[in-house]
Amino acid sequence: MRRFAELPAWARWALYAALGVLLLTIVQGFDDTNRLTAASSSQAMLRWGMPILLAGLGGLFAERAGIVNIGLEGMMILGTWFGAWGALNYGAWAGLLLGIAGGALGGLIHAIATISFGVDHVISGVAVNILAPGATRFLSSEIFTGYDGGSITQSPRVPGVGHITVPVLASGPDLLGDVMRADVFFFSDVAGLTRGLATQLSLVTLIALLLVPFTAWLLWRTRFGLRLRVCGERPEAGESQGINVYRYKYVAVVISGGFAGLAGAFIVSPELSGIYLEGQTTGRGFIGLAALILGNWRPSGILIGALLFGYPFGVGLRDLDGAASHSLLLVNAIALVGVAVWAHRRGQRTSTILAVVLSGLAAMWYLVAEEVPDWWTDILPYVIVLVVLVFFTQRLRPPAAAGRPYRKGEA
Amino acid sequence: MKNRKLLFALFALVAMLVLAACGGDDEAATTEAPAASTEAPPASTEAPPATTEAPAAPTTDVTVGLVFDIGGRGDQSFNDSAYAGLERAGTELGVKFTEASPNDDGSNRAELLQLAADSNPMVIAVGFLFEGDAAKTAAANAGSNFGVVDSAMLDFTKDPPAPYGDNVSGLVFAEHQGSFLVGAAAALKSTTGSIGFIGGVKGVGGLIEKFEAGYIAGAKAVNPDIKVVSEYITEAPDFDGFNAPDRAKDIALAMYEGGADIVYHAAGGSGAGLFEAAKTHSEASGTKVWGIGVDSDQYNTVDPAVKDYVLTSMLKRVDVAVFEIIKAKVDGTIAAGPTTYDLSVDGVGYATSGGFVDDIAPQLEEFKAKIISGEIEVPTDPAAA
Repeated sequence: MRRFAELPAWARWALYAALGVLLLTIVQGFDDTNRLTAASSSQAMLRWGMPILLAGLGGLFAERAGIVNIGLEGMMILGTWFGAWGALNYGAWAGLLLGIAGGALGGLIHAIATISFGVDHVISGVAVNILAPGATRFLSSEIFTGYDGGSITQSPRVPGVGHITVPVLASGPDLLGDVMRADVFFFSDVAGLTRGLATQLSLVTLIALLLVPFTAWLLWRTRFGLRLRVCGERPEAGESQGINVYRYKYVAVVISGGFAGLAGAFIVSPELSGIYLEGQTTGRGFIGLAALILGNWRPSGILIGALLFGYPFGVGLRDLDGAASHSLLLVNAIALVGVAVWAHRRGQRTSTILAVVLSGLAAMWYLVAEEVPDWWTDILPYVIVLVVLVFFTQRLRPPAAAGRPYRKGEA
Repeated sequence: MKNRKLLFALFALVAMLVLAACGGDDEAATTEAPAASTEAPPASTEAPPATTEAPAAPTTDVTVGLVFDIGGRGDQSFNDSAYAGLERAGTELGVKFTEASPNDDGSNRAELLQLAADSNPMVIAVGFLFEGDAAKTAAANAGSNFGVVDSAMLDFTKDPPAPYGDNVSGLVFAEHQGSFLVGAAAALKSTTGSIGFIGGVKGVGGLIEKFEAGYIAGAKAVNPDIKVVSEYITEAPDFDGFNAPDRAKDIALAMYEGGADIVYHAAGGSGAGLFEAAKTHSEASGTKVWGIGVDSDQYNTVDPAVKDYVLTSMLKRVDVAVFEIIKAKVDGTIAAGPTTYDLSVDGVGYATSGGFVDDIAPQLEEFKAKIISGEIEVPTDPAAA
């Protein structure tokens, strides 16, 4: 066990991932499906995870600077509209930039209200969430109704940026494809999932993924990041060291809005929708907040949270015969056993019992039902978020001053 | 202390999720449900129905006040189609009309109806969301007739269900009959023997299931062995399904990858994702697959880049319904309760734009004639299809 802990982080995560794939491979065999480890499943996981990831990273910037940003949803909505408008008029890349700008505008409103005027963070966030759909409805009625194929609730088709396929691995010699087709237990499944990630990878997705290490570097390896985090932990301490706390908070919340805006631009891009349609964010800004908490206010944790959401959602959506959703039930049951063992070793009796009971229920359902109803796959991602929050809340550590009002000179 | 803050954050999050859910439903119910319950075609694309009379110098003292659904004119579907019917009544019957659009959340519907009733003997409300307000306003304005699009205007608390009043009419459509025809078209055109159906929201009073039932029945009438894959995006009361082109796209791609080559949607705004998926899959696989539109002639309303993937559309002619109810008022034959606009009055139908179904038009017309004559009875429940 000690030897495992001495491994570098990437190696440990690779082992966890391999273990997960092994579990999926075994379990799907019982249902005679290969959808759990199909290349299209890992692609769907990325597609559906990215808006959550970007919203979560947005929330990270704001909360690390001490501002709770419940307005992510509204900023995301602004991102969808401006992203579509920009892409239609100035090309796909400009669409992404304008989406960021639109979200940042929402962030600026939140910043002015919470930082300069000391409005309660939750109330200001709710205000942004109410303001954004009204503003985009107005903008659509003024602008999109004049476009061919546009109307008061939707835009014409939105162009997207390019894709890349990793050569050798997934094209040309297509090594992963060879392994996948060889149909060797477990190895073909790993190859299939990996090939999905390496094939037709959207450049936006790539950028979103690169933003994870970039955010970690920016917040934990630079002077800017240290100062920003001080504003979220002990702003008075920062103030005494001569940090302009207001400025850092402003910058953080505007960046936060920018991330949410990029998430919105991703949703309208052909990667997901290929069109702006009123109401299409369907609450994903809030799920981003959940990913932020689930990820313990850390970029890598948020990535895991986003993928944990995207995987069941994407698999369930494409699962027309219900076999994969049925398999996922058993995966849940086994994962809960793991949670029970983990909780038991920490001496948490209530959590252990709860996990065992939930696991038993999932296993029973798996055995009794031939197939699971559609609504189960719809709610599964949210159930996972809830379960994780229930069991791991005690290990979470939010920024100490998040949500607390700050007034200069009151320390 | 930290824990308490965290609890507060969690509480706030949960509260927001709940609020968002409520808000979402509300919005969907007000703006999207009519779209799902289906939009209507631009009147210009179809020949006028056979019921048209020769335009003899029209004179009438009937005036019409029409109240749009949220979104108002310019939505390229439901409301615009209703307006087209109104305009036609203006030119062919000589009625004068006024129009009004409700505010963003539709909270002033009742006032607008009252305003319209004050000066017009005929009031038309576009969308089933007017049901409650129209019933109340009609009771207080016995001198005016009220027509509500997409609602039967029956009081189901009575046994047997009775119209809300002598002056209240409902304008409903035989969507299953139109869906039968596009289902037959899909089966005739399919080369793989496998087709798909994407519904927006399951369990809205069986509304979308009607489309599915007709579609399956039509496909099976052509080819009893055909495989039909059905999938709903969400279930009521989650109305996101009418608003989620991204989810529709993934579902459609899974259907195409599974061997279906034609997919029909009854999912309002989500349908854009279906045509996007048809294009994506056709280009990636080299084999052409199709989507079928709903409500309006989607060949004419989708983006030019994807219109070549719209095989046909199931048309719901709100313009016909609006015109016919005004005509009934002018003629003095207007009746209380629901009037169903079906194939026999061209209240529903299929679109021919693009010319992709020209080769099978004779068979489709044959089915249409059989449905009108009653030889074929189209089911409204998928289980019976």
